[in-house]
Amino acid sequence: MDSVLKRYLFLIPVAILLGLIVFYPVLRCAGLSFTTHDGLGFGNYARAFGDARLAATLWNTTVFTVFSLVLEIILGLALALCINVSFRGRGIVRAIVLIPWALPPAVMALGWTWIFNDVYGVASDILYRTGLASEKIAWLATPGKAMLSLVIADVWKTTPFVAIILLAGLQSIPKSLYEAAAIDGAGPVRRFFMITLPLLRPHLLLAVLFRGIQAFGVFDLIWVMTRGGPAGSTETISLYIYRIIYGYLNPGYAAALTIIAFLILLAVAVIISILNRRQHELA
Amino acid sequence: MNWFFRAIIVLASAGLIVGCTGEKEATITILISPDHIKGWKAIGEAFSKKYPNLKVNFEAPSSSTDDRQTKYTTCFLAEDAAYDLVYMDIIWVPKFASKGWLEPLDDKFPESARADFLPGDIEGSIYKGKIYRVPMQSDAGMLYFRKDLLEKAKLKPPQTFSELMRACTKLQKKPDLYGYVFQGKQYEGLVCNFLEILWGYGGDVFDSDGKLVINSPEAVKALGWLVDAVRNYQVCPMGVTTYNEEECHRTFQEGHAVFMRNWPYAWSMTQQEGSPVKGKVGIVPMVHAAGKKSAATLGGWGIGISKFSNNKKEAWKFIEFATSAPIQKLLHEREGLIPTRKSLFKDKDILEKSPHYGKLYKVLLGARPRPVHERYTEISDIMQKHLSASLIGDETPRQAARLMAVEIEVALGQK
Repeated sequence: MDSVLKRYLFLIPVAILLGLIVFYPVLRCAGLSFTTHDGLGFGNYARAFGDARLAATLWNTTVFTVFSLVLEIILGLALALCINVSFRGRGIVRAIVLIPWALPPAVMALGWTWIFNDVYGVASDILYRTGLASEKIAWLATPGKAMLSLVIADVWKTTPFVAIILLAGLQSIPKSLYEAAAIDGAGPVRRFFMITLPLLRPHLLLAVLFRGIQAFGVFDLIWVMTRGGPAGSTETISLYIYRIIYGYLNPGYAAALTIIAFLILLAVAVIISILNRRQHELA
Repeated sequence: MNWFFRAIIVLASAGLIVGCTGEKEATITILISPDHIKGWKAIGEAFSKKYPNLKVNFEAPSSSTDDRQTKYTTCFLAEDAAYDLVYMDIIWVPKFASKGWLEPLDDKFPESARADFLPGDIEGSIYKGKIYRVPMQSDAGMLYFRKDLLEKAKLKPPQTFSELMRACTKLQKKPDLYGYVFQGKQYEGLVCNFLEILWGYGGDVFDSDGKLVINSPEAVKALGWLVDAVRNYQVCPMGVTTYNEEECHRTFQEGHAVFMRNWPYAWSMTQQEGSPVKGKVGIVPMVHAAGKKSAATLGGWGIGISKFSNNKKEAWKFIEFATSAPIQKLLHEREGLIPTRKSLFKDKDILEKSPHYGKLYKVLLGARPRPVHERYTEISDIMQKHLSASLIGDETPRQAARLMAVEIEVALGQK
């Protein structure tokens, strides 16, 4: 048999599997998104364009994603650099660092809800006792602070994940590069910016991609901590879609919003992979 | 040939006997909360004793109401017969019924059979003239107060909104003791709290003709009172706009609040051994405006039959059995749940163990269901958002009332 044909033949099982797992649900969802109460059509998409709540939830989701992503990358990188250095008990420290990541989201969200409580909460108590705040702060009660609290909780939970990805990247950088740079007289800061950061770029992009997609779809954390409040200020796209299906029993419109969110994420993913490819071409 | 005929007659009569007594063997399934599973299992056993061919399977995956609603909804959307019985929160009735997912029960549960049930529970089980569930467990909001503190200050339990506010400002000693706690987080509970105040001022969401009347002077006054409590008189803890039932209960039980709006479940906990407020708590119906009547938001659960069930006859047998007075009493004794039959509030055994049931009965008689509308969830979500915005100072009560009306109108106009 022709070897090219054979090659494609071997791909068939994978193609079937991927088709069933990935493409079928997406296509099914796309099909559903064209069903309205009046029959088939673009009604759901037309409605989405005039939906102020959709715009608000997309904005909230973007704010949450950008802020938590930036903080997670910075802190994750710092953490990765720390646990990359060899010291006594490094294995244990690496394991401990992973604990927040291993906790079930709903459990840790409940914990943070109490941390941010005004009367019993540790967060407001520390600020109050140290005199940094003149009164006890109800963190989840105002829109700005509620969003900040959610970002903090998310950063606490997922920074270890970013750190682990970046740690893998750090370990793949040859030591000889640093030695050569040091001999040439480059200091630690210069070495970081000239060697570590450029060589870590694929891993950074990977972390951004993974975490970005996850943060964009955040549900459990917000569902437990604020339910989208106060005044709808922390309602994300996932919460809204959930409510449309199970609250308002309108799967068609929910499917349309899912497809819109999917396209947004796809666009971001494409941009990131183009950035990544350009890096390879440069290298 | 004689033996042959005899044998046939014997066999035939044996078959006839079996056919008469041995009814269909069936297992009926219901989804409930794990919180009261022991009481329900006891009911299941008693049921199987009466009907040996029938078994009840209790599925209790989550104590979250939303989770169970999601599970039921998923099954209905798939037209699946996984659940024969539907244990329904009062606000699910119109939503499920309008989709045709529930079996109407009018011929099995006629008006004559409804007389012993609390009127609000029945009203909340009816959608467009047909009844879809039999009430099993009642629930309604009420005002808890600290008897000891009021007595010390020589105050009577408040009856009107201004009396309540005055008592709060007089008795509170911040930051250890606040006047009033309620469910101020943006969720269903906030709407329940607000409706009681709205009704107490004589307002409503829809009038008797189904016209939207939320943008009314009464609504502005009602929301104004709640905003005053939080922002102007500041009789609530700062974080009250993030509280649900449990946070309120905890604040009150630790002795940090004089008044609390909550459901009856909190009562037994405040009276437990080791509770700092044991024996110091009283209950009254939620206050009202001068010249108006108190109203409580009705919660509560009932049992209906799924349209997709293959065991509808057997399911009804269970409903009839479970909602009967002795079985409701059993569930009350085992799990402390509030019955829905009026006769049980005069039951000696119940009154002896729970002397506050006399007062609770009054609250329940005055309880009203939330707007019975197939799209209540959307209406409630819109209300939650603007009530919350008003409580945190983003919108004035006037703006909030107007925006609620506009957005509900738009949402209901959309299919």
